[in-house]
Amino acid sequence: MSAHFTVHATPAAREAGAVTETVASLPATFGPMPAGHSGQADVRVVAGSSGWAAEAAGAMQAGARGIVVANPVPEDTSELAAAADAAGAVVVLDLRWAANPALVGEGSGADARGAVRSGLGSASLLDSVATAAPGTDPRQLLSDHFAALLAVAGRLDGVAILRLDTSGYTASGRLANGAPFTAQGVLTAARPAGVDIRLYTADGGVAVRVPDPDAAWPAEVRVTGPHGDLLLPTLYESAHRFAWRRLKEHLSAGTRPDDLAGFARLTDLYATLTAT
Amino acid sequence: MSHHIAPTDRPLGVGILGAGPVTQAIHLPALARLRDVLEVRHIMDVDAAVASSVAARVGATSSSSMDELLGDPAVDIVAICSPHQFHADQVIAACRAGKKAVLCEKPFAMNAEEATRISAVSTETGVPIVVGAMHTFDPGWLAAEQNWGDLPETAHTIRSSIVLPPNARFEDFATEILTRPAAGRPDYSDSEVLKAALHGGIMGLAIHDLPLVRRFTPDFEHVDVLQARHVRPFGYAVSLRTPSRVIELRAVMNGTWKPEWTFEAIADDSALRIDFTPSYVQAGSAVATFTRNDGSETTSFGPFGHNGYEGEWRELAGLANGTRQAPPAQTLIDDLTFALAIAEATVESAALDHAAAADTAGVSA
Repeated sequence: MSAHFTVHATPAAREAGAVTETVASLPATFGPMPAGHSGQADVRVVAGSSGWAAEAAGAMQAGARGIVVANPVPEDTSELAAAADAAGAVVVLDLRWAANPALVGEGSGADARGAVRSGLGSASLLDSVATAAPGTDPRQLLSDHFAALLAVAGRLDGVAILRLDTSGYTASGRLANGAPFTAQGVLTAARPAGVDIRLYTADGGVAVRVPDPDAAWPAEVRVTGPHGDLLLPTLYESAHRFAWRRLKEHLSAGTRPDDLAGFARLTDLYATLTAT
Repeated sequence: MSHHIAPTDRPLGVGILGAGPVTQAIHLPALARLRDVLEVRHIMDVDAAVASSVAARVGATSSSSMDELLGDPAVDIVAICSPHQFHADQVIAACRAGKKAVLCEKPFAMNAEEATRISAVSTETGVPIVVGAMHTFDPGWLAAEQNWGDLPETAHTIRSSIVLPPNARFEDFATEILTRPAAGRPDYSDSEVLKAALHGGIMGLAIHDLPLVRRFTPDFEHVDVLQARHVRPFGYAVSLRTPSRVIELRAVMNGTWKPEWTFEAIADDSALRIDFTPSYVQAGSAVATFTRNDGSETTSFGPFGHNGYEGEWRELAGLANGTRQAPPAQTLIDDLTFALAIAEATVESAALDHAAAADTAGVSA
């Protein structure tokens, strides 16, 4: 039988991370603090709005063994990473799209990252469109979008924002082989929120479609080549639940995820983008 | 969504200037499906052997002279499928020859002056001209047009994305090609080659959908290029902006077997996506899909039984027998000037980027 970890989330964090329903889907591992319990929960959920890194570090100092950050905005995480190292705590980032299990999966299973990276050498173009509701902060959308792109592509060079306004944005840059990439944000209520990533290669490509994590509708990853069109296994697990399941694995095994190191790349890129 | 065309006592005669792969693999198969109303009677090509061979396939007369084809009284409709630089003069000559209608493959002119001259001759002679922007005749597009409501006024984002295998793949599904142009290996480090490739990409490929883009761009005369990137081996990533619209054009022609040709117009609360079938093959029409409410409300139209190329010929038959009205000449001129403006601005933008890259390389060296 696995260990049972108590969870505490502020109302804002609970909302941002769909914490109640997600924790309920892992009932043998996680549960709420018992009524009347006054101590520190094993796991703290932090809403990813500005200042989340300091809040997470504070929770760790107070004794939390695990931290889940719900949809974090880019900010410096170096002190948090050092604090996590010192405390031996696990910090998992529940990213809107990048935390979807179809993008970066478990173990040696096929995922979008593997499919995209195997095609980067012969890439002609990477074209991506993120969709969100009107009124969404386009800079937040840009952050969610680039988190997903970095998760699968690993490296993006010469990135620049060409426009950013109330209808979305267009950004562009280069892949490692010099091929162009473009990232477009579109604000509309006509379509479901999500991100599409298309990599076109010499003889086919990869098409990735990631939905929002508010339901367990699966992402779709298709690899096209001379063999035909291969649909990778569909995973009916939301980004929220996959983040929590990773937390469980690390807490149980005493290992540490590399979420903060990966997020630092997004923060660095975002800083250069927003400075332009 | 198709134009109904009643068979006449005798089919209308068609003459075609230029007998290359487009004629062989697109127009002749489309016309074969309309044999009750249209009949190929004359094929002209500067290569007499090609003209003769292609004409023999359809039982038509052949020649290597435009004048001979235009002087053939059996020809009612002239299709101009020659290299771009000949289009304007041939359209004008066909109008002056008193034909009933003219189809000109896109682009129908290489500059606004030529377009205006053609328009004047069309007005003077009363000969209607159809430009081969086949998607504007696709029943899927026409169904969208009847159902899009105020979307052309409210859309803020327009995307055209074209992913195609090499033409030969679909030509070979459509016919048995006689000759193909030799494939080259362009040197894209040469800025002139790069500029020519981008110009060709806009005027040869994007132009298929630029009339569609323009329908959703009321301020099309004020277009700025945000980026123009060449995609290897052939394609482009072009981002445009007008005061009220964002326009994204993508194209990749690689070694894939999987074509994907889409047009999208997106507003705050509704969106249209049209999935077109590949050229050459007779694979039916596009499918137009409208979405609302986070995609939970979807309405689709199509596929219908024929594609836009066949739609062009149905339109021409209707024009020639007087059952349909000619499109306004200004529409053709505006479509062309829009495409030319984008092509020229794209080339200019790419040239600046190329120069900047060269400067950067020089500094770092």
